[in-house]
Amino acid sequence: MVNITVIFSLQSLFLVGCVPGCLKICANVMSFLLTPLFHFQTSRDGVNWDLSEAVPRLPGETRITDKEVIYICPFNGPIKGRVYITNYRLYLRSLETDSALILDVPLGVISRIEKMGGATSRGENSYGLDITCKDMRNLRFALKQEGHSRRDMFEILTRYAFPLAHSLPIFAFLNEEKFNVDGWTVYNPVEEYRRQGLPNHHWRITFINKCYELCDTYPALLVVPYRASDDDLRRVATFRSRNRIPVLSWIHPENKTVIVRCSQPLVGMSGKRNKDDEKYLDVIRETNRQISKLTIYDARPNVNAVANKATGGGYESDDAYHNAELFFLDIHNIHVMRESLKKVKDIVYPNVEESHWLSSLESTHWLEHIKLVLTGAIQVADRVSSGKSSVLVHCSDGWDRTAQLTSLAMLMLDSFYRSIEGFEILVQKEWISFGHKFASRIGHGDKNHADADRSPIFLQFIDCVWQMSKQFPTAFEFNERFLITILDHLYSCRFGTFLYNCESAREKQKVTERTVSLWSLINSNKDKFKNPFYTKEINRVLYPVASMRHLELWVNYYIRWNPRIKQQPNPVEQRYVELLALRDEYIQRLEELQLASSAKLPDPSTSPAGPSQMMPHVRTHF
Amino acid sequence: MTPIITVPWDEEHKLPGLQSQAIKRCFPVDREIVVNEVSFVRKCIATDTSQYDLWGKLICSNFKISFITDDPMPLQRFHYRNLLLGEHDVPLTCIEQIVTVNDHKRKQKVLGPNQKLKFNPTELIIYCKDFRIVRFRFDESGPESAKKVCLAIAHYSQPTDLQLLFAFEYVGKKYHNSGGSGAVGGSNQKTPFFETYSDWDREIKRTGASGWRVCSINEGYMISTCLPEYFVVPSSLADQDLKIFSHSFVGRRMPLWCWSHSNGSALVRMALIKDVLQQRKIDQRICNAITKSHPQRSDVYKSDLDKTLPNIQEIQAAFVKLKQLCVNEPFEETEEKWLSSLENTRWLEYVRAFLKHSAELVYILESRHLSVVLQEEEGRDLSCIVASLVQVMLDPHFRTITGFQSLIQKEWVMAGYQFLDRCNHLKRSEKESPLFLLFLDATWQLLEQYPAAFEFSETYLAVLYDSTRISLFGTFLFNSPHQRVKQSTEFAISKNIQLGDEKGLKFPSVWDWSLQFTAKDRTLFHNPLYIGKSTPCIQNGSVKSFKRTKKSYSSTLRGMPGSLRNGIISDPDLVPRRNSLILKAKPDPPPPPTSQDHGAEQYFREWFSKPADLHGVILPHVSGTHVKLWKLCYFRWVPEAQIHLGGFITAFHKLSLLADEVDALSRTLRQHRAGSLDAGHAGPDESRMYFRVSAHATPGTPDFLSSAFPFSPVGNLCRRSISGTPLSKFLSGAKIWLSTETLANED
Repeated sequence: MVNITVIFSLQSLFLVGCVPGCLKICANVMSFLLTPLFHFQTSRDGVNWDLSEAVPRLPGETRITDKEVIYICPFNGPIKGRVYITNYRLYLRSLETDSALILDVPLGVISRIEKMGGATSRGENSYGLDITCKDMRNLRFALKQEGHSRRDMFEILTRYAFPLAHSLPIFAFLNEEKFNVDGWTVYNPVEEYRRQGLPNHHWRITFINKCYELCDTYPALLVVPYRASDDDLRRVATFRSRNRIPVLSWIHPENKTVIVRCSQPLVGMSGKRNKDDEKYLDVIRETNRQISKLTIYDARPNVNAVANKATGGGYESDDAYHNAELFFLDIHNIHVMRESLKKVKDIVYPNVEESHWLSSLESTHWLEHIKLVLTGAIQVADRVSSGKSSVLVHCSDGWDRTAQLTSLAMLMLDSFYRSIEGFEILVQKEWISFGHKFASRIGHGDKNHADADRSPIFLQFIDCVWQMSKQFPTAFEFNERFLITILDHLYSCRFGTFLYNCESAREKQKVTERTVSLWSLINSNKDKFKNPFYTKEINRVLYPVASMRHLELWVNYYIRWNPRIKQQPNPVEQRYVELLALRDEYIQRLEELQLASSAKLPDPSTSPAGPSQMMPHVRTHF
Repeated sequence: MTPIITVPWDEEHKLPGLQSQAIKRCFPVDREIVVNEVSFVRKCIATDTSQYDLWGKLICSNFKISFITDDPMPLQRFHYRNLLLGEHDVPLTCIEQIVTVNDHKRKQKVLGPNQKLKFNPTELIIYCKDFRIVRFRFDESGPESAKKVCLAIAHYSQPTDLQLLFAFEYVGKKYHNSGGSGAVGGSNQKTPFFETYSDWDREIKRTGASGWRVCSINEGYMISTCLPEYFVVPSSLADQDLKIFSHSFVGRRMPLWCWSHSNGSALVRMALIKDVLQQRKIDQRICNAITKSHPQRSDVYKSDLDKTLPNIQEIQAAFVKLKQLCVNEPFEETEEKWLSSLENTRWLEYVRAFLKHSAELVYILESRHLSVVLQEEEGRDLSCIVASLVQVMLDPHFRTITGFQSLIQKEWVMAGYQFLDRCNHLKRSEKESPLFLLFLDATWQLLEQYPAAFEFSETYLAVLYDSTRISLFGTFLFNSPHQRVKQSTEFAISKNIQLGDEKGLKFPSVWDWSLQFTAKDRTLFHNPLYIGKSTPCIQNGSVKSFKRTKKSYSSTLRGMPGSLRNGIISDPDLVPRRNSLILKAKPDPPPPPTSQDHGAEQYFREWFSKPADLHGVILPHVSGTHVKLWKLCYFRWVPEAQIHLGGFITAFHKLSLLADEVDALSRTLRQHRAGSLDAGHAGPDESRMYFRVSAHATPGTPDFLSSAFPFSPVGNLCRRSISGTPLSKFLSGAKIWLSTETLANED
């Protein structure tokens, strides 16, 4: 498209404001969308643009097809509309005069496309496509039965929603958006470790994994005990599942206890031991001389850990690791979490289970899982913050539950991670660089919707963060929209941030060069994602109450498609912002009045020098 | 049984060592008499350790039980001071159950009034109506004194007669001291009590109701002892007719006007017509009269609350289960099944039912322009909740502090809600039901959903709930206004108090908050989010003042519709003649429920699709995801549920600082405009906010804040025994709130 570069700034502006895939039943959105485009089009002589084609388009996004369909809205019934399919999104606009419905769905959220009905099936709107999305909703379109009208729509959608199966690139590689901030520079491991005061006398930075030879799912740069040589590390790697050796995640700035992460030891049925591994753990413990035990948190339930021995895994036994104590945290595996979220969807979409809401919610066990994850993280944080001991966290492979626990504990311990950039660094570090298998868990561009590797582990983490932000409304710099935006782009494939399973794969695909980072979008528009109540506090450890009495279903995320569960902007937040504006206005008016009165009074000694002098207590506080 | 207490009511037992500051602090209330006391008592503070326990003296007075200690309170960073009660005190009317334990003999007994105790208690557990569980140990105290105090508490907290409640003693002395004038406390001038003709008249004018008049036939309670002396009726009903009709109503409770919408629709409440023969006729007359009072002559919509809402027994059962779940059961054991257990209490379901039903009536009044009649057997239980909720939703006046208090006076106190029985001040449990709490809970749901629509905070609601348990005030003490007059007149005669022209004794009012809290503490009642009528707000970056919409309710009389002059209707077709065919004249039955439901559905959908006007109607979201547990009220004593340095209060704190700053700026601006060049700041007393901007305060969250603020669980919820056997063992795992039946015989 020739005009893309010209309209890009306008569109990116719009798209920032609008959660992708958001269902809008709001007429003024349309006018907002149309008016600027219209101006642009009329200014271009000779280009005949049909207004009805005005679909938001990112730079690099190309239109593939459009078609008249009936959208079977689960809330408002069938709505006739025109659907536009690009290589990035499915966009539907109502053709009915009394409805301003817009559907804007990035193809990345599509999990499954099915044909419903056949050429002979009877009944109104019984022939068409049924689309299952990863973000807690389904879409259903009815088409005319004549002439296999759905076939090309099905094929185009399949092709662009699942590019991997068709040897097509994921949209992030086609996206030509430009932002004035480069999100890829947000995380620099050396800087982050330096912020933590590393390296120090006990911990060193090693480049042993520079070419991902030690461990192909770990980052290039690792922090390990000073006293462990690179050879030691290689030997330990042989005894840890997928060579994911214990490495430092976080160090307490004062008591110097640490959080270390790894995968399970390869104990197996025979109860194998590895002297190097045992010694290595003791070396970790000894970085704090006064502490007699290293605490190991195995995220799994005890029985699962035992069962893992059958496949060569296991856990650290008491007799092999004398100076360690091991606790199981009873967090279930990815399959349990996937099934639990499925049950959540069943009770909230399309209709919210009304008669027995609380017991239905309980039967999904979703909040119970959230509780266990938070409880585990609290224990980790408490150990470290109290200086009782250093903590080693693992599950089976150390890339799902382990990432949840270390990142949540770090969020509780270190207020830096509660800022917008700090949180981005946390995600970039504990999740992306340490090889949480985003590609497998989310299935970007993959048609294999029933893949057993899919699991909402990262979503669960974000949910835990949301629960914390509910309990501590002033502790986080970011707001709910920030978290929802992250989740939307976890699936959208617009940014490279969450693509691929590990750093080595990302490097191979040159993701940072060829795609845009989600943090570019967020950091170039930070105000939208800021929590007005944020009060920066240093060194305050947050202990959320991980009790069912306080945990809530995140309605604004899980039930956001239901127009009856109104997602109003947080009125408390809104009122605060209003008051801020009012304060500024009053201050300005006061300044003007003071200027005017000082002009009347020629004696300079009586005229106020400025508002800061006039209202010392008012301004200093902020 | 012989009374154990040797100190009669009249005999004043002088408090020993009154000079002691600590004692003075704990006995600020006039006429408070110490009945019994015991020293070297240990108050248990934490559940799992005795290291924080406090040593002191346990005192039973005729108003409260007090624990006096010189030990500082451990762990607690903040205490919201009640001027009437020390931090360890429990008003006698707040006591639900008294359990004495001897853990050497493995005995325990629930103490009723006038009971014997065959063992010397080593432990006393007070179960409070406000969900607290307070424990004292007597390991080092004199066994006989300990026993006496326990028996005194049991006796004085379960009086046999209303006149034995402390309020009588207190107010009687006040009258004696002031020589007969009823100058008790400085009652809050702003809150109308609806005891007088003029209060009702003002309310008619405020709402712009036409076709309604104040009726004084019940002066001196000549018609009904459960109606107020003055109430409002359709103008077309003559006093004589009303007197005749009244005989047919349960409790002679004829229709009472509550409120009128600006469109003329009225909200009316009435009891059932018990006279079957007259039923149809009287009903017809009443409905016609209400129709006549409507400027559009709209029909009447009747809502039979007994058929649509849970009854008082069901509500009480839900409340008992809720209390059981929230505080009595071990925290961890209830975690796994928390959500379904909460659902099984049915409390939230009932809150939803009341909100939903009230919202439907809002639709009838507001959108269908029909007058609504609430019908209930006696018209003084469920009607109170529904009538109040409808008005809170429709009229922003009732979302101010004064307005809310006037609503409680109007629809609860004056309408004859039986506070004495429902709060069970005299411990005759069969009539107990927490309808008032359910109303406060439902109001909290609205506050939670529309946090900027209310002038008051949730702390205010919780403190108001607690105030129903303080027997100093007359507000929540009686079953009806008549009962106050009758009982206090009897009391006055027996005590030789000259009442003069007054109708009964004037008790202190709860609305005189200065009796309980300092001015500074009272600012916690203010909601910093509230956008008052005159408060400017920002829209699109420019400051605008809120203007009252046409729909708002002013204190001036609205113009009457042309067809209506002096309450006489000119259109003869609308007036059914006497003796005409009643069936023909009968108002149309309400349309079939399906079409009405559809209309309501449409109305709600449209309403929710627009941004809410906080000075107009507010409607509750009533889905299961929206109606929540009122955690501040039910969890404030539960240590495990407390979020330290967290909870909504931390945002409230930030908001207060900002709102305070904006207030200060606005004052300075006004001073400037007034021509004063002195830009001095208003004194701190002018601030509405509890949390203020100060030069000394460090930014950030004060470390005394927690989700339970301003309350504290420290020492207020001791579930298990601290030393010796856990109580649960004695109770052999009994899972119900200790009931008299389970334990009474085990002495």
